[in-house]
Amino acid sequence: MRSVVIARQKKLGRKTVIVLPVLYPRELLTAMGVHAVELWGPPGPPRSPAAGRLQGYVCAVARNALAFLASGGGRDADAAIFPHTCDSIQGLATLAPDFGGWEKPAYRYLHPKGEDRPAARKFVRSELERLAGELARLTGRPLELPRLSEAISLHAEIDRLRRELLSRRPFLPLSDAALYRLLRRGEYLWPGDHLEELACAARGIRDDRVRHGVPLMVSGYVPEPMSVFDCLEAAGAFVAADDYAAVGRRIALSPPPAEGDPLDRLSGMHFRMPPCPTRTSDTGARMEYLLSLFRRSGAAGVVLHVPKFCEPENFDVPAVFRTFADAGAPVLVLESELEAELSAQSATRLEAFVESLKFKGPSR
Amino acid sequence: MSGPASIGVDAGSTTFKAVLVDREGRILASFLEPADPRLEEQAARALDALQAPPGTPVGATGYGRRRIHAARTLTEITCHARGAFSRTGEPGILVDVGGQDTKVVRVGPGGAVLDFSMNDKCAAGTGRFLEVILARLRIPKEEIARYAARSTRPVPVTSTCTVFAESEVVSLVARGEAVEDIVKGLHAALASRVASLVGQVPPGSRVFMSGGVALNPAMVEALSKELSVPVSVVPDPQLVGALGAALSALS
Amino acid sequence: MILRKLQYKAISCLGPGLLSVASRIGKRPGRGSAQGAAHPFGPPLESGRKLREIMSLHYLSGRYADGAVPVAWVTSGFPVEPLRALGFHAVYPENHAAVCSVKRLVPELSAAVERLGYSRELCGYARADLGCAVTGTTPVGRLPRPDLLCCCTNICQTVLYWFRALADRFRVPLAVVDAPFVYGEAKAGHLEYFADQLRGLAETAGGIAGRATDRGALLETVRLSREGSLLWAECLAAGRAVPSPWTGFDAFFHMAPIVALRGTKECNGYYRMLRDELNDRISRGVGGIGNERFRLLWDNLPVWHRLRPLSAVLAENGFNIVCSTYAAAWAEAGAAIDPADPEGSMARAYLNVLLNRDLPYRLSFMKRLCAESGSTGAILHSDRSCKPYSIGQVDLQRRLVSEAGVRTLLLEADHADPRSWSEEQAGHRLAAFMESFE
Repeated sequence: MRSVVIARQKKLGRKTVIVLPVLYPRELLTAMGVHAVELWGPPGPPRSPAAGRLQGYVCAVARNALAFLASGGGRDADAAIFPHTCDSIQGLATLAPDFGGWEKPAYRYLHPKGEDRPAARKFVRSELERLAGELARLTGRPLELPRLSEAISLHAEIDRLRRELLSRRPFLPLSDAALYRLLRRGEYLWPGDHLEELACAARGIRDDRVRHGVPLMVSGYVPEPMSVFDCLEAAGAFVAADDYAAVGRRIALSPPPAEGDPLDRLSGMHFRMPPCPTRTSDTGARMEYLLSLFRRSGAAGVVLHVPKFCEPENFDVPAVFRTFADAGAPVLVLESELEAELSAQSATRLEAFVESLKFKGPSR
Repeated sequence: MSGPASIGVDAGSTTFKAVLVDREGRILASFLEPADPRLEEQAARALDALQAPPGTPVGATGYGRRRIHAARTLTEITCHARGAFSRTGEPGILVDVGGQDTKVVRVGPGGAVLDFSMNDKCAAGTGRFLEVILARLRIPKEEIARYAARSTRPVPVTSTCTVFAESEVVSLVARGEAVEDIVKGLHAALASRVASLVGQVPPGSRVFMSGGVALNPAMVEALSKELSVPVSVVPDPQLVGALGAALSALS
Repeated sequence: MILRKLQYKAISCLGPGLLSVASRIGKRPGRGSAQGAAHPFGPPLESGRKLREIMSLHYLSGRYADGAVPVAWVTSGFPVEPLRALGFHAVYPENHAAVCSVKRLVPELSAAVERLGYSRELCGYARADLGCAVTGTTPVGRLPRPDLLCCCTNICQTVLYWFRALADRFRVPLAVVDAPFVYGEAKAGHLEYFADQLRGLAETAGGIAGRATDRGALLETVRLSREGSLLWAECLAAGRAVPSPWTGFDAFFHMAPIVALRGTKECNGYYRMLRDELNDRISRGVGGIGNERFRLLWDNLPVWHRLRPLSAVLAENGFNIVCSTYAAAWAEAGAAIDPADPEGSMARAYLNVLLNRDLPYRLSFMKRLCAESGSTGAILHSDRSCKPYSIGQVDLQRRLVSEAGVRTLLLEADHADPRSWSEEQAGHRLAAFMESFE
């Protein structure tokens, strides 16, 4: 599917870059006519001798990505962007380009860690300028600010629709699996095309309640395997709120200001994102955010779907336990190793969790 | 007036269990065999053995639950909670150390599941840990507790990974440690792993144990010691899941 | 408050005398006190006693620090100089966790936080240290409560998650100094970002200490810090002599002051003494091990809980670890600190620490260490719970072999947690590795 999309974008004269998780300036890429295709693994056992270049205790997202790149998986792309997400991706960003596996241009997008402060804002802006310079060398065209303005508006509209689809989930006549397939197509579609699909789906929102079952909040890194949603649906539950790093956590909390220097507006976007353990330094702020998301959605329980060996996600698990225990909401931790299919053991956990919520009666 | 009312089947990963119960949930007959890959045949054998009247409703649980022709299928977690509650009549923390999974279920009033946790994907915290290593030491199941009881100075076993622990035990034997002391040390290692799954036991909470490993008094003792609270064994610990499944088919 | 200050002062000033008396009375036998045929090491370092003394004093004074002076908990790679200039007592949770690991407390401490939901796969230091915070258990008596938590991401991102959890627990501010990873050379914008944050830190920390930075004090700390790094570099350079006057495992213990007391007179005084002793051993031909036949490089953190048996088995077979990337990391960057431009030079020094640099740099660094020290082999500790240090080791190993002709062993362990250690497996690999030199 992705290669078909890439071929079409190439025909339109656009360069393609592979982008590793999580956060990167989509607006900048769109404005410069660069087609982004994200690489979240892919799931399943890594299929390349290069998989052995990373120890078994390194997260599967990085390990699979190395195997994928080294086996020529990114041959259609023109460059790769490695955001400064965590130690593993940071390590991959030197391992693959410097020691083999990725021979085309490699751009590192470093973004600040910690709280919002003037030094961090200045840093984001300078990194954006640096990336724009690198992309200009790739495309042969410099960044044009009016185009950046347009791209900011386009992505703001995408975010608005994604937020609407997720927050009005019970009124959307789509299965969870179908909804997530739609949302995740944003990982490789040209943003304009993705926008059309989202708008079409949003028109299906009906004011009479269409979704029944146990509402759940999901949080974690990436919804893989996608059969999680089939399993939840079969057990009688549905996703009412999303905090996956790959999905809900990438929807800005508020739209960018309409006026002002586009690069400043884009820099500001970094600080409008929901709290994410890969960047933020304040546990309290993240817990407050999760709790309010949970309460707004009317969810009855939380599924924490965290990858094994993922330090940023796993370090927050105890705080999530504590926060939701205080709020009287049950939490299930579902460990993922980026499998292609849900294991029987994981399925049992999910089903048992839904059973325990069902037999407890309505949520508070 | 309390004739056979429902059947519960627990098609687990290592053993297959089935019970026939009356309206009050009393066990009238039971069936237990090592798990057979030909599950359907095993289920038919079980129904025969239980001598249930035709048409008795069946509830199923365990890994093979979907392959059982049942009126109701539920996960082991829900079934263990219900089964245990019906035997003990008390809320508390239920620890089920199974062959492949270890489950810790907080059971609320009426047998509802308040929350639960399970071991991760390796055999470290499960019954398999003891099984593999004790087989290596050539200790028959029925002798385990006697061995542990004879220990005067348990040897700490630090590896909780089954594979690593196996090689550690081999080197302890080579070093000349007494087998009794190693056995006791193994129990402590498994108990510590299970205890980390249990977490803090709130004051006044009862802790119950079910599953095949609960038949091993040395393990019950080790867990009590690790948690610093007495651990009680649910009667017929191996049948608790099947009992819960039967109770679910009743309602 | 005044009493507390007096106690803190008294311990800090009189402590050395008290401790040396105590240590003479207690007469802790050193490693080499039982000399014999089966004993593979050289005579123990005299400085070892002084090391125990100043580290004990560091922890002892810590017990009286909170309430007396502002207290900061600091990551090992944090630019500590502005804090020292403001009179902070700095506690190093990483060093403390290493002490816990040597004392084999990690399984117990980790179990306490695993019960709260911390995964066993997380950094062993973090688990140990959070375990201390949760249970109150510590081998050093008591750690002072922090007024400020300080974390610099130049050694890993893990410290960000770990210190965020500490901040949540202690309800105190967390000062992050974010260090962009260096691919190739540090970029001007990144240096500027780091220096900007140092200025911000001075404000935050000054607010807590209730005073503004005394420029003179800062310059003096910066000078001491640079001098300390250079002295530590001299100690490490002494290891190049044949036979090496000490072992890399000794260096792991003796690096405690450059980590936890960097920027103080005590630290530098100590390294002068150590350097002199090492040079004296060189002149007398005294080695760290009895019969040094092969020289090795160690990569990654030490396996703290197995240090003694590992060093013994290597020494028995005539192998000496004569250099390590870990110990050398503390000598490399600090030398760049320059009192003429404190913020700018600190930015350069702290951005360029080994763990914040790309793999080609790490490879060249390892090759250089091997060449300088005459190491013909390398043990790369593949550290289960330290991902940033371990990623890339498989390639580094292959390249050391093919590009530098260095024999290598990738040894899987954990720097703090003994539960993932397999004695049999590791023993076999180590034996096979050593056989390959014969």
